[in-house]
Amino acid sequence: MQVNGERHELDTNPARRLVSVLRDDLGLTGTKLGCGEGACGSCAVLLDGVPVNSCLVLAGAVDGRSVVTIEGLSSDGLSPLQRAFIEEDGLQCGFCTPGQIVTATALLAANPSPSREEIRAAMNGNICRCGAYPKIELAVLRAAAEAA
Amino acid sequence: MSAGYARPSTSEEALELLAQPGAVPLFGGTDLLGQIDREIVSPELLVDMARVGLDHVRADGDGLAIGAGTTLAALASSELLAPYAAVATAAGLAASPLLRNAGTVGGNLCQGTRCWYFRGVEWHCWLAGGDTCYAQIGEHGKHGLVPGDCISAHPSDLAPALAAVGARLAVRCASGERELALLELYRVPTQERRSLLTLEPGEIVWEVRLPAAPDASAFLRLGERRAFSFALVSVAAARRGDEIEAVAGGVANIPVRVDPGDPLAQLPGNPQTMWKRTALATLVSRALDTIT
Amino acid sequence: MKRIRQGKMVYEGFEFAVTAVYDDEDAALVPWDADAELSVVGNPVARIDGAKRVSGSARYTVDVQLPRMLHAAVLRSPVANARLERIDLEAARAAPGVRAVIGPGEAIGEGPSPLSGEPQFAGAPIAAVAAETLDQARAALALLAPELDVLPFAVDIEEGLRAQRFTNEPSEHVRGEPGSYESGEVRTELEIETAFHIQTPLEPHAAVADWQDGELTVWSSTQGIFPVRAELAARFGLTPSSVRVIAEFVGGGFGSKVEAGAEAVLAVELSRRAHRPVSLVLSRHEEQLAGGHRAATRQSVRLAARRDGTLVASELDAVIGMGAAGRMVPPVHGPAMFAYTAANAHAMRFPVKLNLRPVNAFRGPGYVEGTTAYEQAIDELAAQLELDPLELRRRLHVDHDQGSGLPYSSKSLLACYDRAAALSGWADREALRARRGDDGLLRGLGCATQMWFGSAGPASECTIRIGADGIATVVTGIQDTGTGTLTGAQIVAAEELGLPLEKVRVVGGDTRPEVRAPAAAGSVTTASVTPAVRAAAASVRRALLELAGERFEISPDDLVLRGGRIQSRDHALDCSYSELTDALGQASVEGSGARTLNSDEFAIHTWGCQVAAVAVDPGLGIVAVEHIWAVHDVGRIINPLLASSQVEGGVLQGVGYALSEERVIDRTTGVPVNATLDDYKVPTISDAPRITIEFIDLPDPVAGNTAAKGLGEPPVIPTAAAIANAFAHATGIRPRRLPLTPARVLEALA
Repeated sequence: MQVNGERHELDTNPARRLVSVLRDDLGLTGTKLGCGEGACGSCAVLLDGVPVNSCLVLAGAVDGRSVVTIEGLSSDGLSPLQRAFIEEDGLQCGFCTPGQIVTATALLAANPSPSREEIRAAMNGNICRCGAYPKIELAVLRAAAEAA
Repeated sequence: MSAGYARPSTSEEALELLAQPGAVPLFGGTDLLGQIDREIVSPELLVDMARVGLDHVRADGDGLAIGAGTTLAALASSELLAPYAAVATAAGLAASPLLRNAGTVGGNLCQGTRCWYFRGVEWHCWLAGGDTCYAQIGEHGKHGLVPGDCISAHPSDLAPALAAVGARLAVRCASGERELALLELYRVPTQERRSLLTLEPGEIVWEVRLPAAPDASAFLRLGERRAFSFALVSVAAARRGDEIEAVAGGVANIPVRVDPGDPLAQLPGNPQTMWKRTALATLVSRALDTIT
Repeated sequence: MKRIRQGKMVYEGFEFAVTAVYDDEDAALVPWDADAELSVVGNPVARIDGAKRVSGSARYTVDVQLPRMLHAAVLRSPVANARLERIDLEAARAAPGVRAVIGPGEAIGEGPSPLSGEPQFAGAPIAAVAAETLDQARAALALLAPELDVLPFAVDIEEGLRAQRFTNEPSEHVRGEPGSYESGEVRTELEIETAFHIQTPLEPHAAVADWQDGELTVWSSTQGIFPVRAELAARFGLTPSSVRVIAEFVGGGFGSKVEAGAEAVLAVELSRRAHRPVSLVLSRHEEQLAGGHRAATRQSVRLAARRDGTLVASELDAVIGMGAAGRMVPPVHGPAMFAYTAANAHAMRFPVKLNLRPVNAFRGPGYVEGTTAYEQAIDELAAQLELDPLELRRRLHVDHDQGSGLPYSSKSLLACYDRAAALSGWADREALRARRGDDGLLRGLGCATQMWFGSAGPASECTIRIGADGIATVVTGIQDTGTGTLTGAQIVAAEELGLPLEKVRVVGGDTRPEVRAPAAAGSVTTASVTPAVRAAAASVRRALLELAGERFEISPDDLVLRGGRIQSRDHALDCSYSELTDALGQASVEGSGARTLNSDEFAIHTWGCQVAAVAVDPGLGIVAVEHIWAVHDVGRIINPLLASSQVEGGVLQGVGYALSEERVIDRTTGVPVNATLDDYKVPTISDAPRITIEFIDLPDPVAGNTAAKGLGEPPVIPTAAAIANAFAHATGIRPRRLPLTPARVLEALA
């Protein structure tokens, strides 16, 4: 599989979940396991550019496809979106934050100038128990405005 | 997980694999993997359908042909679906954005119930092959309105919407294809066979075929929070001329037609679910307002 | 001169004895009162560790991977109450990859084992296994093949009450004359039921333990590295100094992660037996079953008043569902006894034993539950008196703690009411309700008072070193679970040292430096730690000024450190900080400080008022919380950016508590049916109301030398009450049970 631009060959049960392969085999612990059943979004990664719950993706299914994790989004330093999250304080404990950023990155790539409603509609699968939602919204708006 | 994994690249290959006992199709996995994790099902072989080319939405005569492997996200954003407002809406409101990027039409139609006894590892309920419907003697405020051996509620948003606009399904197996009306996919589970689906072993929903678009359609739902919640109740309604087709989800084991003039008929409910009848009536009324 | 003094600290409403060790200089610091001219404090500052959190490089306990680390799994009871008849530990020991097994009944150091052969709730731990992989550990659990004799159980509060089964002695709280209720001209009674409310941190409870050569290192997803260390040291017979607890990043706790927990104790014991590091991480199902919850309650409030609103009697009977065991009974009676002036007050607490996970702390324990019921009763009374709800609350304002008789050190509650009213358009409330828009929704505004403990306490210490690079390193004992307290330490140190923020680093989350701090709970952190940081910074400042005085031949009293520069008061000298620090070479200047004791003369509390605007869809039972206005008095605001984040977070948990979050329990088996993230509905971003926040921001010098009180819990305390009051305003109906799910709303409106 291709992860963050690097090609990996793994000899493993193809029925293992992508989140476990990323965290345990590749040491990419930025992707978090919050529930293991698609209910929280903490494990979000980009699969061919599309954000999905990596806890519900099988390793075998990723063969020949490209995965980008939060580490891949940070490899050239922090992105403007990540800086916006810091400046607006769109995070508290930070556990859901990689997933939020993955989803928001995909949103801005598809829709560079989203409305508040569109941000909510795109991100309501990423749970934040600390309740940073108002500032997550501000962070995405800020990143969109700065890119414009 | 001890299941094997195969990823065929042609329909023939896929159908042959699916003909094997213990083989199940895998699309987005958003329902199947959860059932495997909780040991509700234990397939021998996961047949990954990603490369079989079922992710299409295309014009088909007056209507559309939608591959079973089309994601909900693709369905919700497809321009071809715009005239079928109920379907586009249902596809766009289901689950969460992340799940819609993976979950597919076929998977959504065939998904299991969300009843917390069915899903709970601490119970082996009647629907799962056990002896007792724990919901009936326990917490069933979110469940169906029809008495029976099982009172689980059907969770799919797409099913009522597709049924209301007159969808038909192409079902395939290694030996051929058959077509049926959407609601014919479903059956009330029985003592001898606890399945909600009329599919025979080796059969798979292959394609959804929509007729010409209705004059108007709408899909409305009530969830437990403003987003990312299975529908407690949902209603899809479509009008062709003066004819109205209304189908409800969340009120019985399977999606059911409701009579627009008497939507609560044959949905008696019980003390815990009486509130759901009120919600159903509201949704039907509002759906009708939208399409007439 | 160093002092060792004994004192008291109020924590979650309970009083504890504490020891403070501090210097006279620490006590001599002039608090930052309203006249203080501060240049860093009070300005928005981004989180100090934000970069790590947004890039995925922050390492949480669940991310810790050590060489040769084993993975643990826990066998838990699938039933509500049982006796273990048989278990096959040997089969598990012999299973592939298994390196250690602990059964119930085996001693785990000193003190009761977290494992039990008489599990009293679904999810109670019975046995634990450590294996090379998690899959192997889980496979081994299946081989344990426990035979359980299922016993009768009780999960219903009323059933427990009828059977008089209590975890603690029922308690009675009295002020004035009991039985005064009957003498009120106007009387109101209200019964409210609240549900078990699950903390649901996204990082589950987790611990990694590495016991080697008599030294124990534990990574714990905890809010309290020092309490965890003390607990583990005591249990395992180690000196605290040979136990190191690390919690650099914690994925939420909200009160559930204050003690060592079964996961840390089991991880340590497994590591001890296997001579390998062991990681124990709860699955989401385990977390929702056994991670903890806020008590469910049934509260009967009785208020008696005169026509002018004066309370003649404030009474509460609170039946509190405690779960299988009790330690601290939540102070549900606090608002009824102390929120408003009432000559006569009476409360009973009945802590009922149930076959459920024992209750633990969840943000504002007792006061959330108590406020939710009591503030609704106050609104009922206002309605009967035909008084505006805020006006009644103004009339009932009390300036001293009616329990101790001590005056409040600061209380800007009246200002909170005024500001909340102004911001929310409270004066137009009736017009809002009467105006039914095209959308057919019923609208209303409701308010609630917030009251909570605002003080803090020892032991709270800090050391700061500055070297030739001009960077001040602030060492604290706090763990920042997302509250932003490390950033607060950075700000306070920068202010006191006259350094820019980028020249101040903060170390926390590790007991190794041996710098003590309290657990991040009870809203005590900012008020405990910032005074210690300031004291340490002041100590370094004094040392630097002495060095500067020597170097520049000016009296230190004539020198100030400001904005990264050293200046003389007559401005003759104005040079960069580095002029001084460059000369340090390989050495450093060090200072330390500690928080002193709390004042005996005042009660330190925080106050606030929240107003909720709701729109109710009567056809579907949907309650939309359109707007929350939150006005809080928490003393001086150190960092308005992070402070407002705390408020938003608390409000959102309050919204969940009001509308969608509850543990649902199957009556037939006593097992929770919704112990998943799927079926336990926490708010999504689409559920977030608009939140307008204002702080009164009046320094409270009694609270500590930084004049800050605690903020962590206040914001969640009044939210559900405000929403329930708004619902009643909108619909004229007051449901007796929360959360206000569509089902309950439709039933209430029917």
